[in-house]
Amino acid sequence: MSAVATPVAPHRTGFFHTLRGIPILGPVAALVLACIFFATQSGRFLSGANFSLILQQVMVVGTLGIGQTLVILTGGIDLSNGMIMALSSILMTGLFANAGVNPYLAVLIGLAVCVAFGVLNGWLTTAIGLPPFIVTLGTFNIAYALVRIYTTATVTNVPPALLFFGNTFKIGSTEITYGTVVMLILFIIGWYVLRSTPAGRSIYAVGDNPEAARLAGIHTSRVLTAVYTVAALSYGVAGLLLVGRTGVGDPNAGQNGNLDSITAVVLGGTSLLGGRGDMMGTLVGALIVGVFRNGLQLMGVGSIFQVLITGILVILAVSVDYLSHRGK
Amino acid sequence: MSSSSSPGKVLLEMKDIGKTFPGVKALQAVSLTVREGQVHALLGENGAGKSTLIKILSGAYTKDEGEILFEGKPVAIRGPEDAQALGISTIYQEFNLARDLTVAENIFLGHLPRKGFRVDWATARAKSREILDRLGAHISVDALVSSLSVAEQQLVEISKSLNRRTRILIMDEPSAVLGEGDLERLFQVVRSLQAHGIGIIYISHRIREIFELADEVTVLKDGRYVATRSVAEVKMDDLVRLMIGRDLKDVYPRRAPVTGDVLLEVKNLRRSRLVHDVSFKLHAGEIVGFSGITGSGRTEVVRAIFGADPHSGEMRVDGKPYRARTPTEAIRRGIALVTEDRKAQGLFLKLNVAVNTTISGMKQLCRMGIIQRSRENALVNRMIRDLRIKTPSASFIVVNMSGGNQQKVILARWLSVDTRVLIMDEPTRGIDVGSKAEIYQIMDELTKRGVGIIMISSELPEVLGMSDRIMVMREGTIVGELSRNDASEEAVMKYAVGGEIAHGAA
Repeated sequence: MSAVATPVAPHRTGFFHTLRGIPILGPVAALVLACIFFATQSGRFLSGANFSLILQQVMVVGTLGIGQTLVILTGGIDLSNGMIMALSSILMTGLFANAGVNPYLAVLIGLAVCVAFGVLNGWLTTAIGLPPFIVTLGTFNIAYALVRIYTTATVTNVPPALLFFGNTFKIGSTEITYGTVVMLILFIIGWYVLRSTPAGRSIYAVGDNPEAARLAGIHTSRVLTAVYTVAALSYGVAGLLLVGRTGVGDPNAGQNGNLDSITAVVLGGTSLLGGRGDMMGTLVGALIVGVFRNGLQLMGVGSIFQVLITGILVILAVSVDYLSHRGK
Repeated sequence: MSSSSSPGKVLLEMKDIGKTFPGVKALQAVSLTVREGQVHALLGENGAGKSTLIKILSGAYTKDEGEILFEGKPVAIRGPEDAQALGISTIYQEFNLARDLTVAENIFLGHLPRKGFRVDWATARAKSREILDRLGAHISVDALVSSLSVAEQQLVEISKSLNRRTRILIMDEPSAVLGEGDLERLFQVVRSLQAHGIGIIYISHRIREIFELADEVTVLKDGRYVATRSVAEVKMDDLVRLMIGRDLKDVYPRRAPVTGDVLLEVKNLRRSRLVHDVSFKLHAGEIVGFSGITGSGRTEVVRAIFGADPHSGEMRVDGKPYRARTPTEAIRRGIALVTEDRKAQGLFLKLNVAVNTTISGMKQLCRMGIIQRSRENALVNRMIRDLRIKTPSASFIVVNMSGGNQQKVILARWLSVDTRVLIMDEPTRGIDVGSKAEIYQIMDELTKRGVGIIMISSELPEVLGMSDRIMVMREGTIVGELSRNDASEEAVMKYAVGGEIAHGAA
């Protein structure tokens, strides 16, 4: 060797390294394999109607996952999302049923309350500097209590306007729920914003290294507050989809929303440490859970085993991710 | 002033060591012999294979080829336990200390002496004291490690390895974390270890240190063994040539400063107790070096100018008042800071070269709020070409790059916004000589375009080689200013330590 050239630091090749290059490849492969497996196990699995059903089953958790992804990318976590969703959906339905408020105004009030919670989460994490885990654990309980104080009874007198997102339209012979379209559009918007706007880049930067982000000229507090607020807005939309899907305002809803959405985010390959991950990964993650639950149901496996398998999936997914990032 | 070497018996022989990572031959036929009481320096650029070699010796990697003899007998080092059993200890740049435990607890971590079922604290403390005294370290055994300076923590780390019957001590760039003032102390410690018959493998980028400390030096380049020389018989120029294949005098560009208007004016800058009464001017096209021992307030000054920390004082940029409340504001006024600690404060290690480059100037790449990929790629690829950043592509994750290339990515970031005042805090720390020369070249070219540079450096040759003017700081303020012609190591040190040059004294 004659030149002064230093070789580029030894970098690994091989299976795990390739996965690392295209983070969403692993989750997509898992989803495809799962689909192939269930297609061989049940004749009813591979049909437009069944896929539409799966999408409908994941639309609430998926939408919660959009906000959760934003928060986790900043290195935070949001435990309050399911309860914020429950609070918004109970307000949207209850204000009409109990107080006669115009349903559209009720929706706006529900969304506004979500925004207020998001601002609160963001303010507590940035201004006071509390860990997001603690902040959102607190707001989880506050939102839960507010739901219970407002009502403990299921709101059944829901105006038709609020049921719109549970309605369906037909493509060919397949019925598709409007709510699933909303979810998919939100995912595409979220993905595009993260990829191609200064705001999205800032989210990755803050999640990767907050101090470096500050010294690169990013207003980290503004980014974090905005993230918690936008996330909370997505929980409000999830609340609307939930009402459309169930047809009622349920004070018991949303209690597992946090863990289910975190599961989708993690299965989608997003790192809980922040700074690395992908919005579409979360959609794939939610679909993996949905496909497993649906497929196992078609095979006649009891629902508790579906939960068991979800648990195993999460550990497997994180193990693969961990092994692919270990060492350098 | 090389130490007297009475060649002790051979402790360690590594013969024809080879190591292959997928796709890369990291080491090829590298040999190293270490004797009792010998300081053996390992020299080479980043990527030369030094780390790989010591990782094999300390059990972090296993070798693919070659053999290791310890006191003449072949040994197998399969893991860190094997290395430890042989008495091989390593002191990495990142210390392996429990910050919330005391000095004594750290020294005895994992094998505290026992009396019955209880820990024998009296013995642990007494023995720790004994080891620290041996190193001439005036540190309380009951002090919490988190309360110690970096230099003191290093002494604790060394004490820890001594407590484990170390025969061979590997020191991975021990001086990199120290300021000029703490160096002499480190040298004394190394010499006393040497006097106790310990064989020392000393890794450093700083050739001067090798001449001061080492008995022998082995040079690696591109994963291959180049040569082993006795330090007494080799010249500095020869070592540099062995290491990088060119002459030392080519490292610093010949500066022909054309000083323009005042770019930045700082008056009575103050920051709580750390900085007071700092005033100076920076002209277009000028490099002002800031020298001084660690803790003299240099970093605090530049962080204040960059708006990273609260401060008071008067500043002007281009003659117009400038209040540095946030880094964002500083960047908008054309001021940029290349931080001392690249990884902790500069880079987004999980993100790629493109994002790291454009993060501070995203707005100018946008059309209607959307980052235009074509503009971004054009900019990043131009930077990669202009700065000679070695990367497979713009989408390569920066964590996998060498220090020199990472530093160039940070430079690319500031060059892609309209930077007029470039502040560089230790611009070449942990960077190999080859990349260093390139970074100096870039600095020189920038000044020709009218950029003013403030450079903090703990390496005197760098300060002297690059600066047009030198500000020397001590105890939070500027105590001396030297022009390029008046500057010498002695003159700088005289100001830095306050009158008398305290060689050897801590």
